[in-house]
Amino acid sequence: MSTTDGPTPMPGAKAAQAAANRQAAEKNPSTSADAAHKTGWFGRWNEKWQAMPRQKQWLYLIAIVAVAYLLPILNPPILSTEPGNDFPLALFSMAVYALVAVGLNIVIGYAGLLDLGYIAFFAVGSYTAAMLTSPDSPFIKVPYLWTLPLAIVVAMCIGVILGIPTLRLRGDYLAIVTLGFGEIIRILATLIPAMKGQVGFQNVGRPPGMGEDGIPVFANSNGTPWYWLTLTILIIVLLLAGNLERSRVGRSWIAIREDEDAAETMGVPTFKYKVWAFALGAGVGGMSGALFAGQVGFVNNQKFDVVTSILFVAAVVLGGVGNKVGAVFGGALVAYIPLRFTAIAEYKYLIFGLALMLIMIYRSKGLIPARNRLLAYGQEAYARVRNGPPKKPAVATEKEV
Amino acid sequence: MTLLELKDVSVHYGRIQAIHNMSFTVGEGEIVSLIGANGAGKTTTMRTISGLLNPSHGSITFMGEDITKMKAHIRVVQGISQAPEGRGIFPAMTVLENLDMGTFGRKDRTGVSDDLERVFTLFPRLKEREKQYGGTMSGGEQQMLAIGRALMSRPKLLLLDEPSMGLAPQFIRQIFKIITEINSQGTTVLLVEQNANQALARAHRAFVLETGEITHSGTGKELLANPAIKEAYLGG
Repeated sequence: MSTTDGPTPMPGAKAAQAAANRQAAEKNPSTSADAAHKTGWFGRWNEKWQAMPRQKQWLYLIAIVAVAYLLPILNPPILSTEPGNDFPLALFSMAVYALVAVGLNIVIGYAGLLDLGYIAFFAVGSYTAAMLTSPDSPFIKVPYLWTLPLAIVVAMCIGVILGIPTLRLRGDYLAIVTLGFGEIIRILATLIPAMKGQVGFQNVGRPPGMGEDGIPVFANSNGTPWYWLTLTILIIVLLLAGNLERSRVGRSWIAIREDEDAAETMGVPTFKYKVWAFALGAGVGGMSGALFAGQVGFVNNQKFDVVTSILFVAAVVLGGVGNKVGAVFGGALVAYIPLRFTAIAEYKYLIFGLALMLIMIYRSKGLIPARNRLLAYGQEAYARVRNGPPKKPAVATEKEV
Repeated sequence: MTLLELKDVSVHYGRIQAIHNMSFTVGEGEIVSLIGANGAGKTTTMRTISGLLNPSHGSITFMGEDITKMKAHIRVVQGISQAPEGRGIFPAMTVLENLDMGTFGRKDRTGVSDDLERVFTLFPRLKEREKQYGGTMSGGEQQMLAIGRALMSRPKLLLLDEPSMGLAPQFIRQIFKIITEINSQGTTVLLVEQNANQALARAHRAFVLETGEITHSGTGKELLANPAIKEAYLGG
């Protein structure tokens, strides 16, 4: 029999399998299921991470989160973007990009829907925040923090409206259609008088709080509180996304990404779950947009171009499609590099283009590949299929063929 | 008793008609084979029965219920399970995760572990490889996985689309032996094949498909003995 006539093995699967086999040979059967993707330096980290007890993992996580919160105060010289760019503002920018990448990762990474127009949802969120808080807008005003959930809801609705007709398309066709989304929103902002085109909305609202010197805590130029707010939201979204990917919905997305027809014939309502992925991704994008609008304080139609949309996709691909940690990393990196290395900022698209090509050639699954996400799933699959403890625990000790 | 009935079913891809007024039945407990050359409409027929394609005309009845308009993922719950052409396994999932996906449409979880044991008994190779990624397995193993996964939904009707495609001769015999075994355990099988010899030998009844129409029908043995079919499909 031949191995060449089946579906193409996924890139890296052979290496991952070799690693899994090696580990299966070393460990007892119940833990060999979480054999990690061992290739590369992140693979090795990942392997160590999987081997750690739960408490130790939590300790490390808390330490990492604490450092993340302290970054604007520590302002470490190696990382700092100053004097060219204010470091706390750069951190805010990174956090927003990370949030965008986590949202887009739901669409591209989990459900496998290549959305090249994600900027549309970011724009919808920005406009929701701006039009409900800016004095330039004729609409009713609400406190800024209310616009965050509202931006999620509005963006999700737009996601469903755009998703229902277009998600019947697949692959490249879907990508081409989504490419238009961003443009549609931008052009609507130009055409609809209430959205004020290039004039835009000044003085977008901000969260409450006034410093002793009479300057608001969330001033446009003060990145630190904005960064902390965004980081907190990012952590909450990450926790929710983690739960989602281990759920029935998450499994459906993986199945749809892997083979849509097969998923459908397994009983997965593929269309429904694709719309869900689209809507949830849109919601996160909308919230990122509202945060961005709040910090910058100004929204007009010039900020939402296709190129930024492609940059979002680049962030996800760079980090590792299907891995939320990778998405955070990729998003932060895409925002950070032009701010840190101001001399090359002009060439950022050239550099990201080259970086993407290199990634595709040498690490086609991104800097942090996605396999560890499926691992949690693997353990649950065991429990689920077996209905509790296995009847014959000696499965993997049988000799290999 | 009739399990599945197609009545005057036509299927179009755009303006091209792939199936012309096809009618046939599958009785409970049978193995029924559809044989035909490339482009005869075999896979189209399968996809229409599993619900991935909608007929432009005609009706499909399953267990006395009209399922013509029913979505594919609901037909699985009703008891129609397909092992798709080209195997259609999830390459980045392990064997066990693939099998677990097969239970997705099941309402009751009781008996899942028994079904897993059954699949592992039919395909001991899958048990040996339960932690291997689907995409790294050989063609034959993927075929076993696809059939095993389809069985995990505990179907009343199992649709097999070219189970022998791309397999070595000894594997083809093995797969057909297992299909007979599955059938003897009470699952009705509808089979689409280019490998007419095995498909006819194993089938209770069979149909020959030519350019979207049924041209011959009969028991497997009758069709095996039919000189015209011998000429066209069995290499003279």
